Amino acid sequence: MKKFVSLLFATTLVFSIACGKGKEASKEDQGEDDETQTATVATNTASTAPAAAAPAAAVSADAATLTGMVKFEGAAPKMASIQMSADPYCQSQHGSAPAMEEDAVVGSAGELANVFVYIKDIKGNFPAPTTPVTIEQKGCQYHPHVNAVMVGQPLDIKNDDNTLHNIHALPAVNSQFNEGQPVQGMVSTKKLDKAEMTPFKIKCDVHGWMKSYMAVMPHPFYAVSQTNGTFTIPNLPPGSYTVVAWHEKYGQQEQKVTVGAKESKALSFTFKG
Amino acid sequence: MKPQEPIPHNYSIRRLNMIFALSSLVLLAVTGLMVGYDYIRGWKWFQLEFMRMQQERISQEIGVAQAEENKQQLADLDAQDRKNEIELARHRDQYLSAQKELDAIEGDHYRADQDYRFVKANLDAQRYITEAAVVQHLPDAPQQQAEFERQTKHLADLQLTLQESTRKRDAAKANVDQWLKKIKDAEDKKKELTASVDLLNKQLGTVDMKPFSTNWILSQPLLDFVNPVIKIDQVVLNDLSIDMNYMSVPRVDRCQTCHRAIDTPGWESKTEAARLSKELQQKLDAYQIPQEKRKETEERIAQLKRIQDAPNDILNPWRTHPKLDLYVGSASVHPLLEYGCTVCHRGQDRATEFGRAGHTPASPRMEHRWAERTALSAGFFPLPRDFEQRHWGYEENEFIETPMYPRHYYEAGCIKCHSGQMGVDRGDDITKAEQTIEIYGCYACHKIANWRFTDLRKPGPDLGGIAEKTTPEWAFRWISEPHNFRATTRMPSFFYQRNMIDPNVVPPQERAHNVKLQDAEIHAIVSFLFDKSTHRPWSPPGAGDAARGKQLVGSVGCMGCHIDTEQVKDEKTGQIRLAKREDFPLERNYGFNLTGVGTKANPAWIYNWVKNPKAYYADAPMPSLRLTDQEAADVTAYLVTMQKPAFMNTPIRPPDAQAVHDLAKGYLINTLSDVEAEAKLRSMTQHDQLVYLGQRSIEKYGCYSCHNIKGFEGLKPIGTELTVEGSKALHLFDFGFMNDEQWKNEDGTTEHVIHTVPSWVYNKLRNPRIYDDRRTKVYNDKLKMPNFHLSPEEARRIAMVVVGLTKEKVAENRMAGRDARTRLIEEGRKRVSQHNCRACHVVDGRGRDSIASTIADANFLPPDLSPEGARAQSPFLFNFLKDPTVMKIRPWVSVRMPTFHFSDEEANTLVTFFAEAGKGQQFETSRGMNPPAQNVAIGKQVFTMMRCTQCHGTTPVNPENPPVPNTADSTSLAPNLTLARMRLRHEWISDWIRRPNEMINGTRMPTNFPRDAATGGFQSPLAMAIDTPPFAQYKATLLPLFNGDEKELKRTMGDAVALTDYLRDYIWSIGITQMRTAAPGETVPAIAMPQPSLPPPTAPALKSTRNQRGAAGNSGGPGR
Repeated sequence: MKKFVSLLFATTLVFSIACGKGKEASKEDQGEDDETQTATVATNTASTAPAAAAPAAAVSADAATLTGMVKFEGAAPKMASIQMSADPYCQSQHGSAPAMEEDAVVGSAGELANVFVYIKDIKGNFPAPTTPVTIEQKGCQYHPHVNAVMVGQPLDIKNDDNTLHNIHALPAVNSQFNEGQPVQGMVSTKKLDKAEMTPFKIKCDVHGWMKSYMAVMPHPFYAVSQTNGTFTIPNLPPGSYTVVAWHEKYGQQEQKVTVGAKESKALSFTFKG
Repeated sequence: MKPQEPIPHNYSIRRLNMIFALSSLVLLAVTGLMVGYDYIRGWKWFQLEFMRMQQERISQEIGVAQAEENKQQLADLDAQDRKNEIELARHRDQYLSAQKELDAIEGDHYRADQDYRFVKANLDAQRYITEAAVVQHLPDAPQQQAEFERQTKHLADLQLTLQESTRKRDAAKANVDQWLKKIKDAEDKKKELTASVDLLNKQLGTVDMKPFSTNWILSQPLLDFVNPVIKIDQVVLNDLSIDMNYMSVPRVDRCQTCHRAIDTPGWESKTEAARLSKELQQKLDAYQIPQEKRKETEERIAQLKRIQDAPNDILNPWRTHPKLDLYVGSASVHPLLEYGCTVCHRGQDRATEFGRAGHTPASPRMEHRWAERTALSAGFFPLPRDFEQRHWGYEENEFIETPMYPRHYYEAGCIKCHSGQMGVDRGDDITKAEQTIEIYGCYACHKIANWRFTDLRKPGPDLGGIAEKTTPEWAFRWISEPHNFRATTRMPSFFYQRNMIDPNVVPPQERAHNVKLQDAEIHAIVSFLFDKSTHRPWSPPGAGDAARGKQLVGSVGCMGCHIDTEQVKDEKTGQIRLAKREDFPLERNYGFNLTGVGTKANPAWIYNWVKNPKAYYADAPMPSLRLTDQEAADVTAYLVTMQKPAFMNTPIRPPDAQAVHDLAKGYLINTLSDVEAEAKLRSMTQHDQLVYLGQRSIEKYGCYSCHNIKGFEGLKPIGTELTVEGSKALHLFDFGFMNDEQWKNEDGTTEHVIHTVPSWVYNKLRNPRIYDDRRTKVYNDKLKMPNFHLSPEEARRIAMVVVGLTKEKVAENRMAGRDARTRLIEEGRKRVSQHNCRACHVVDGRGRDSIASTIADANFLPPDLSPEGARAQSPFLFNFLKDPTVMKIRPWVSVRMPTFHFSDEEANTLVTFFAEAGKGQQFETSRGMNPPAQNVAIGKQVFTMMRCTQCHGTTPVNPENPPVPNTADSTSLAPNLTLARMRLRHEWISDWIRRPNEMINGTRMPTNFPRDAATGGFQSPLAMAIDTPPFAQYKATLLPLFNGDEKELKRTMGDAVALTDYLRDYIWSIGITQMRTAAPGETVPAIAMPQPSLPPPTAPALKSTRNQRGAAGNSGGPGR
């Protein structure tokens, strides 16, 4: 029985990806930092799903899509500027406009970015993509600010700055690491081998302001809200799920959702300050 | 014929025959029953069942081994075999001729070999003859010489022939082999493939119990004494003997008779398998497992995973010991053959039945479940349902002197051999338990001979100056019920306890009387203490700022040992509730809770106490934090604001004159007649009566055991001696009416006393007065042990130590930690525990939870001392312990290392401990070494390339007060490296740079040379970077230092060990070499570089040709 379900699911995946390709392409125009993340995930899934579904190449058209919007209620908090004078190099990278803290990025209409949305309770085996997820350290800030990898997926950490960064990850489940990157352009590759769905902090001890968050997912059904507050979780097998929206400052919320075959459902999360 | 006269008998033969017949039948039946009973003994059944389980498992494994792909391979090989044979048959002629040729050559070879040997023997004889002839100047000497030379030549010729012959033979053999080899190879491969299956089949044979199998026949009744398959399995331990009062007999542990798989991995329960596989995986990930053992570990993890995935859980008694790496396992420190089982677990060593072995239930539920039985399990053998449900037909057996420790008390068994140690490695439970005993001061009232400490101080404060500190009103209320003042206090409640006033267990008329008597006793104790108190004047504090005081209390380190709140958020419910001691780390309960201190103590006393605790009493455990007068005034101002006004509103009933009189008289008539006592009392004022009664009451309750009180010096501790309490027989414990009874504790929980020693002790600790329930006793005979309001967990821990204190002695060679090195370490650990160092530091991998609970950022915490012995130079550590102001390593840390006023001996003990524990040398002489200039120059470039300067200062600073590194935000970066030479061990520096996170998990020092996941070796980021354009200038500078050898330069840049050694040499070169000039009369000597300086170290990585001493040889660092 189990075998059958996963088979069905795998075929669903393949088919929905095939169908969803056009949509991905049109979205790429928006050109957001987070968009690359979503796109990576999507293409990763595309590249590995056929392998998973190899024994049964039949196509099912059942996959659903979960979209949504994250809003912030109340007066939008002002983004604080970061004092980078401790490292002249960092300061020089930002010219006249100082860098901004990214702990609460709220748009003009209250759209909340950098919210990590994921399905909490989906069972099954989802092979990790082999394409790495990349975190860049650029201008003494992490890009992207919130991100996720799948269990076993390589994580590339790149230092684009001509200064020392150390990437100090503080996971609760995985083993923590702290690596120095004294050479510009250096890339350290890490693999996180345990699922840790609540994002953990990554910091740089040299530059106290640098913060990033990272989740380690056992499945590919997650997204990070963009600056317009939207998120999309494609290729979701039909079923009932708990969707969690997590924000570094405003905590996390849960919603139950049931999606039918081929359905596209919109969710909405609202955080309060 | 006359019939034969019957022989007259006095008895009837018929009847006699009958009796003989019957009795022989009965005897036969009894013998049969005996054999039958022996045949079905319970333990046999466990062995049979385990054999069945093994059989099942082995069959499964055979199934796996014979899986499809193996079968395919085997079939292929068979086909190959056939093909080979066909080919051989086809070329039979050639093969046969080759064989023939070989046979012929073998003959030739043999002949040649023989010839050679004979001639060689002759030559040896000729050698002697020739030598003798030459030495004795015989006339035939020249002939003999010629003969010798001739034979030598002959031999050489023969050798050539032999060699030629050997070569020919080998060639012929190869010719034959060419035909046979293919066949042999295929056979080898086949053997290899079937080897595991063959082995498994062999194993299967040993556990096969099918009817008419060898095992089955050997196990038949009356045959089974010949060579039984099912037999008692035992370990004889001669040097862990059992003391039978007049003789000691060897221990014979037969536990394995039923616990078949106890030392065999692979029979774990599912829960244990999950835990173990997780642990092993973590170790693998952290490179804690040596390279050669990694594969083995991976296989073990796979095995554990299989257990987790199996449909059925393995039940006791067939489970593997859950801590095989520590106990029982052959590679563990306590192997089964050397330690057995009952040394730790206790129980009846020779018993083979559940009840007789001394299994002890841990809870009433367990007891009742165990006690159940089916008809067959009652005395014969258990049925599957019985062991699934754990129905063992258990009956309590009072005559077993050493019943097993119940599950919650397992680690009690460690004490026997580890009693002298400050912590049992990997025995977290017992380590914490012994620490709990010390922090509550159980030893003060209950003598424990052979406790690891002989010089423990009294747990309570000195009461000689109580009037300087507080008021009689406060003292009365405090003694009445300390927990009303502070929920977390360790001062126990003596008065108004369950056996005095509890309406459920004391009759009403008695209750009112008891209250009067108790009131009188408290009044008397307070009167006595204040009557005898000293009245030293303490200077009042200047004006202080409470806000600054609060900030100081929170930041200088007070919170390592003290708690400043009584409200905590419950983790489960999320509600704010009254704190319990357990809400805080054990070390934080070392000092008292600060709440209400303003109500308790007067400001002048507080001010002087925080400035110098030793001034109040010399034995004070609190160290000095070197507060200035102003700081002390600020702290006082803050502490005074911590008030508990409600406490002072509880009413105080005046002493009842009659009660005081009666109690005092009760003591007086021990030595006086009734009339004399009355007369004596009439001659005393009420105050005098109270003081007299106070003195007797302090004796009665044993206040002097925990507090220094003048006049009570040298009195014996009040409580029962606990030295061998764990060996006390069950019938010596007074259960009162509390056998298999439930009772309700004051905290609302329900407890249940069962008839075992651990249960008695545990319940006694939970509420010391329960065994008085419903009993009729005279007032002074009632139980007096005070109530510590222990939580279930605390009571369990203490009970564990109590039941672990036994009279069972083990041979000296079996005691842990008796070698000289470990003793030195233990001495240091004692000091560490005594001074509560773990409040602020990690020592031996434990501690720092206290201070960490108030300071979130690890960078502002006091250091982790796990690597201290390998890290710090002994002279530095000694001076730093004596006077922590000699060096500030991380100036941004606000927590102060207190001045403990260590004596030289104490400081030395600690230094030795760290050095030994860190496997460092006690004395390090590297401080005077000057690294070669070339190494320093290379190190400097590496230092720049690795951007170390971004965090570390390299300009010399004042070690006592270095500036805080300049950063934009509140965090600070890293220690100034010019201090390293005075503080750090030479070799440690490079080791630290290579693997900081492995030494101190979570350190901010980044790993710059990450390990290669595959090999575990270090990688260098400079290996590639050195050839990139941004590094061109460094390369240009470095090349001359490598004599222009670019290959060598590149190799070095990829060699993390060499790079870190260069970095170390550079850091060494910039170090200051003088700490501070010794002030006149100062007790702490200044530390300086030893003179004259020693030869420099050899350059670590460069070849010896380039290994020149620096021209700047002894000019020292820039700090001079």
